[in-house]
Amino acid sequence: MRNLKLPAVLSLLLFPLFSAGPACAKVYIDIDSPSFQQFPIAVADFKPLRPFPENEKLSLLFSDTLSRDLTLTGYFHLLDRKAFLEDPKRAGITAEGIRFEDWTVIGAEYLVKGGFQTDGRELMAEFRLFDVVRGELVVGKRYAGKSGDHNRMVMQFVSEILLALTGEAGLFDTRIAFVKKSAAAAEIYTIHFDGSDPRRVTNLNALTLSPRWSPDGRFLAFTSYKEGNPDIYLRDLESGSTRKIVFYPGLNLPGSWSRDSKRLLVTLSRDGNQEIYDMNVENNLLLRLTRDFSIDVSPVRSPDERRIAFVSNRNGSPQIYIMDADGANVRRLTYLGNYNTSPAWSPKGKKIAYEGSVNGRFQIFAIDAEGGDPQQLTFEGGDHESPSWSPDGRYLVYCVRGYGGSRIEIMNAGGQGVRVLHEDKDASQSPFWSPHLR
Amino acid sequence: MKRSWGWVGLMALVLCFSVLWMTGCAKKRTLQEGAVVTQEQKAVAQAPAEAAATTAPDTRAARDRALQDQALIDQAARDAAEKAAREAAAKAAKDAADRAKREAKEKAAAILKELQIADVNFDYDKYNLKPEAQEILKKGAPAYLKYRDYKLVVEGHCDERGTAEYNLALGEKRATEAAKYLTDLGIEKERIKTISYGKEMPLDQGHDEAAWAKNRRAHFVIFPPVK
Repeated sequence: MRNLKLPAVLSLLLFPLFSAGPACAKVYIDIDSPSFQQFPIAVADFKPLRPFPENEKLSLLFSDTLSRDLTLTGYFHLLDRKAFLEDPKRAGITAEGIRFEDWTVIGAEYLVKGGFQTDGRELMAEFRLFDVVRGELVVGKRYAGKSGDHNRMVMQFVSEILLALTGEAGLFDTRIAFVKKSAAAAEIYTIHFDGSDPRRVTNLNALTLSPRWSPDGRFLAFTSYKEGNPDIYLRDLESGSTRKIVFYPGLNLPGSWSRDSKRLLVTLSRDGNQEIYDMNVENNLLLRLTRDFSIDVSPVRSPDERRIAFVSNRNGSPQIYIMDADGANVRRLTYLGNYNTSPAWSPKGKKIAYEGSVNGRFQIFAIDAEGGDPQQLTFEGGDHESPSWSPDGRYLVYCVRGYGGSRIEIMNAGGQGVRVLHEDKDASQSPFWSPHLR
Repeated sequence: MKRSWGWVGLMALVLCFSVLWMTGCAKKRTLQEGAVVTQEQKAVAQAPAEAAATTAPDTRAARDRALQDQALIDQAARDAAEKAAREAAAKAAKDAADRAKREAKEKAAAILKELQIADVNFDYDKYNLKPEAQEILKKGAPAYLKYRDYKLVVEGHCDERGTAEYNLALGEKRATEAAKYLTDLGIEKERIKTISYGKEMPLDQGHDEAAWAKNRRAHFVIFPPVK
């Protein structure tokens, strides 16, 4: 687990550099509203806190990494450095040393400044976010760590910026699990939210599918054909051990976990047909939820755990249905199109994303969990499959299968801001977003 | 009684004489033969003996060696002959075994060929057996009623479109449908296993309807009896 979290060497010494922002109750900007406009923000070059040693490279590294990560969130419009009026030599990094009008006049609403100092292998850095319109500090932090930790320090502070402005900490402590298929096998990998640091998780040398991260961040459940049959395995990311947990004859597929990471919805065909069960992971006791001769597969829980969305072809074509947590009260959710599968329930509870067929191509849709008209989110060529929500419900990760390969992409919940998360010579598919791994 | 003892004495006497006569004759002939051998030996040995009178012991040793060598050569020849005979026998046995093996292999291959059922194909997002699929299964089933110790795995596959998970379920439905049909044709349920690979193992790597049609299939894998 440690390797997934911030490293222990980065001891975050959070000095209260100021007393928290405006005294009145925080009013967050609703970034989900259609009228939301990106925050105009300027990132000044970081300054060495001591005159020696000078380190121009590190100075740029801090500001460049910070600019990149802020852009990645989709909430910021980064102002061009060339437009800056301030003389960096004379300006300070505290409120007293800043002429705020130098920033408001170029259109900035927010400004990030910082400094650093190195001492052998030790690295210390200060970050400050200013509201230049009000002319005040919003949040300031000081981090101590080792040289090379600058990336993690920047991610930490970007999370602080997001928390201060939007009320949520962002996704810099999340990863995305996905399946990478080569000719001989398919294995599970995880990759950081910004597309860096891909890591191989399984080494089973077999067809491996459907990664499902537990909400406590500790386990990855998945299906593998390692011993011939598609059985469910559990990877403990803390200990690094993998064990086979469900291996009935026929299909054994993991669905979604419960919030306490103790129960797992599973699809099994042990009773002769694909049915959905709620399984206690500690003792493998099964509660059968569906009883139908058609296909029932891909169960996901609502965030309040009172309902379950799943795919069934009980009326002839695969469609998304909703039932109560005990299997009662099944009702059909999707009616448009003849192939709607792979439901993902938004962590905010209101929407269900899925993939649907439009003119022979698969696109990502979102539909209100209470029913209604679906909203199409992707329109490009290629098949868009297996959507999964970020833990803050603001992004969707999915795979795009085109001719000859497939890649993982991320977009925001409204379908904008598409970026490629991962692409290489192997086909990448079935992405699943981790919970916060802090 | 007395007279009978007389007879016995007479018979013994006659017997004694005849034995004496016979052994006398044999002895005489042996002596004659011995004389001849001696003369021959003399004739043969005379020349070298005269030529190298002083090296007579060496000659004898050389002759002994020659005789020993000859004996060894003779022994080797006999061994070789025996070995050849043994090998011929082994080869014949091996040939027979090979032939039997080959025949068994050919027979097994013929059985496998007889048992092989062609892939049956399905429509998009469907798992019902089409009439042509039913024909293939009807043709394929009798061999399994004939060779009852062979088992069968039915694999279900899908084309690349759609979700991995739904396709796993769909592939399983296809395999199950085909297996059920074979069961209805009389093959014991216990001899048929099903497995779904969803869309993960396409037969044709293409991305068009022709490739997809081939990939939507139930595939039959024969399991011969374990010996």
